[in-house]
Amino acid sequence: MFDPLLVAAPSVLAPTSILAMVLGTAMGLVVGAMPGLTVTTGIAVLIPFTFGLDPLVALGLMAGMYNGGSYGGAITAILLRVPGTPASVATVLDGYPLAQSGRAGYALQVAVVSGTIGSVLSALALILLAPPLARVSLLFGPAEYFWVAMFGLATVAVLLGDDPPKGLLSAALGLMLGTVGQDLITGSERYTFDILELVDGFSIVVLLTGLYALPPVFRMAEEAVREGMPGSALRLRRAGSVLAEWRRFLPVWLRSSLIGIVVGVMPGAAGSITSLIAYNEAKRRSAEPESFGKGNPEGVAASEAGNGADNAAALVPALTLGIPGSGVAAVILGGLLVHGLRPGPQLFREAPEIVYGFMLQMLVTAMLLLLLGGLAATRLFGQVLRLPPVVLAPAIAVITAVGVFAVNNSVFDLGVLFAIGLVGYAMERLDYPTAPAVLGMLLGPMAEQQLRLALTIGLGDPAVLVANPASWAVIALTLLVLASPWLRRGRTVTS
Amino acid sequence: MIRRRTLLAAPALVLPAAARAQAWPARPISMIVAFGAGGGTDVAARSIARFMEKHLGGASIGVVNRPGAGGEVGWTALAQAAPDGYTIGFINVPAIVAMTVEKQTRFTIDSFAPIGNIAYDPAILCVRSDSPYASLGAFIQAAKAEPGRITVGTSGAPGNSEHLALLVMQRLTGARINHAPFGGTAPLRTALLGGHVPAATFNLSEGVDQAAEGNLRILGVMSVEREAMAPDVPTFREQGVDVVAGSSRGLVAPKGVDAAILARLQDALARAINDPEYREAAIKAKVPLRYMPAEEYGAFLKKTLEEMRAIWAATPWR
Repeated sequence: MFDPLLVAAPSVLAPTSILAMVLGTAMGLVVGAMPGLTVTTGIAVLIPFTFGLDPLVALGLMAGMYNGGSYGGAITAILLRVPGTPASVATVLDGYPLAQSGRAGYALQVAVVSGTIGSVLSALALILLAPPLARVSLLFGPAEYFWVAMFGLATVAVLLGDDPPKGLLSAALGLMLGTVGQDLITGSERYTFDILELVDGFSIVVLLTGLYALPPVFRMAEEAVREGMPGSALRLRRAGSVLAEWRRFLPVWLRSSLIGIVVGVMPGAAGSITSLIAYNEAKRRSAEPESFGKGNPEGVAASEAGNGADNAAALVPALTLGIPGSGVAAVILGGLLVHGLRPGPQLFREAPEIVYGFMLQMLVTAMLLLLLGGLAATRLFGQVLRLPPVVLAPAIAVITAVGVFAVNNSVFDLGVLFAIGLVGYAMERLDYPTAPAVLGMLLGPMAEQQLRLALTIGLGDPAVLVANPASWAVIALTLLVLASPWLRRGRTVTS
Repeated sequence: MIRRRTLLAAPALVLPAAARAQAWPARPISMIVAFGAGGGTDVAARSIARFMEKHLGGASIGVVNRPGAGGEVGWTALAQAAPDGYTIGFINVPAIVAMTVEKQTRFTIDSFAPIGNIAYDPAILCVRSDSPYASLGAFIQAAKAEPGRITVGTSGAPGNSEHLALLVMQRLTGARINHAPFGGTAPLRTALLGGHVPAATFNLSEGVDQAAEGNLRILGVMSVEREAMAPDVPTFREQGVDVVAGSSRGLVAPKGVDAAILARLQDALARAINDPEYREAAIKAKVPLRYMPAEEYGAFLKKTLEEMRAIWAATPWR
């Protein structure tokens, strides 16, 4: 595994690649800090502009955008109580009180250092774990992929906390959208209503963008009369050094990073869940849990380290199995495809220098985060918040529309974009989580297609589904995930 | 915007055909690709476009991706575009021909005026290197011994060119196989390497590398003669099975383009293909170049249509 790393290193450190990573990280910080613009959208908008670029330049932009965006979301979360990205929801809880008490600069610093540590550990895990996983992945045929999809669907059901029926309804919506299009095995068309554009089904990028980018625009439009933040309220100067207090934060960083990596690798758990789990765990372990939610910097550290650690780890199943573990991973898969790189086990054989280059770029951009985010961005990008919604909302809407149109040069896609945006807005207002819908869209077609392919190969005998040890392993994991609530309940009763 | 377009169109209305052809190209030419950016056809289009620009005396050619419905969205747009020489595009044979045979499309192959074929990638049948099938003959024997029990994966949806080739093979040999459409080459190749399917068909250029590494064995290539890319691999014909199949990418314009303009496009393509710089790049990228001038390409399209109709009549594939 060190050979391809050494081969990839020079191209990663080439001037164009470094420029791309710096630019990407900077853009990611802006995108993350813009309420409404998620990293997913940022990368989706970026992809069409990377067509003509060298793959590693394009991927450097994406890696930077990914890592930069995950911290950028914390800026608005801390300053404005608006999570810039869904993943920074948990950062709001302690970051905003800290900022209110006049320690905005300190809170931002905690966030950027924690995020960097999480991202770096995560990138290292990706580099170390992905190759063995890639080798194992040849064990995965249609039957095994079917079970992987079932595992993903099972994790969604369990991880969707507060209101499970709403989560399940949302997942069902995703599954329904996923059935549209041509049936792969028989070639017949489903729910296409003779519309040519629907024969291939809905474009995932269009659906994702509509679901995530537009609802916040509509929300902003609701309160368009509000003004931007006055410059005097932005206190962005540093106060106290986080690194000097490393003893205090170290256990939080390590624990949250581990949580982020494990949850990130699972192809059913989205980033917003990671930071919440990490936050809850830090609170549970703390000597003074009551101080959480009132401005405890450990809360910010836990959320951001967990959030950062989710990043590269979520790419493990995406790169090795071709299975997107999150919305961002799905868009990055799209970005790879644009450059003729088909994610999956064969990618490591066919283009090792690119895969390893990309993984190194994830590591380098994680470190760039400290430099760009810590030194410059915090003060600079904070100014964006002074834009009133009346300017911000239409700008986001236009950028999104241009990005989506550019993917397929299709006006039909624009219609889909706004229709699904309205659906997403309604779901948000009614407190339906949108993440299960995304996973339903991605995993439903996969489960169906692979099941039918497996049965075709097995001449209709369902025994093919449990013929291999790889299937047994995934089935066991799925059962474990499904049983975990009962196991946990049993434990609390006994203790 | 509207005013500018009117101004540009005005001379076209006033000038006689010869002068119009002389003024062409007065604005950028769109090259429609019926598949997504980054796919094989897209890459082929973007690379040839650069060289055609050069040989059209600095005209500008923009690639426009119009993916959807297995190519139907883009091909419909191409067929319905104004035949003014400012819209050209790629078509993929036999996919486009099969489409016109199996369903009602808003175009036929007569909706297009050929400019020239660029690449032709023959189909192959291959197995993993530890497979018991040592040759095409052994495979067919086994398929006859166990009718319908040996699975062959193909890289497209039902009705893809490889599926059709398998139908012909079954008709000629009397063997019966179990067809599994994987919808893409990558998952199919992974499944073949992992031993999840015993045999698979895809294009030669997508299999030569793994065969060279010793991971796959190509039982036969469905071309007329042995291919330069894999001279050791016998053709199906050599092994007594007369199946010729593969997919080609060529450039066409909507029917009705001024003859002088069409001739200039055809000439630019010929020059671009023979450009040493292009040839070098294409070989490096493993593009299976096979240039056919317009006339030959047109005949090839007609012949493919007849073949497809015959297959459809004998064994409708959907």
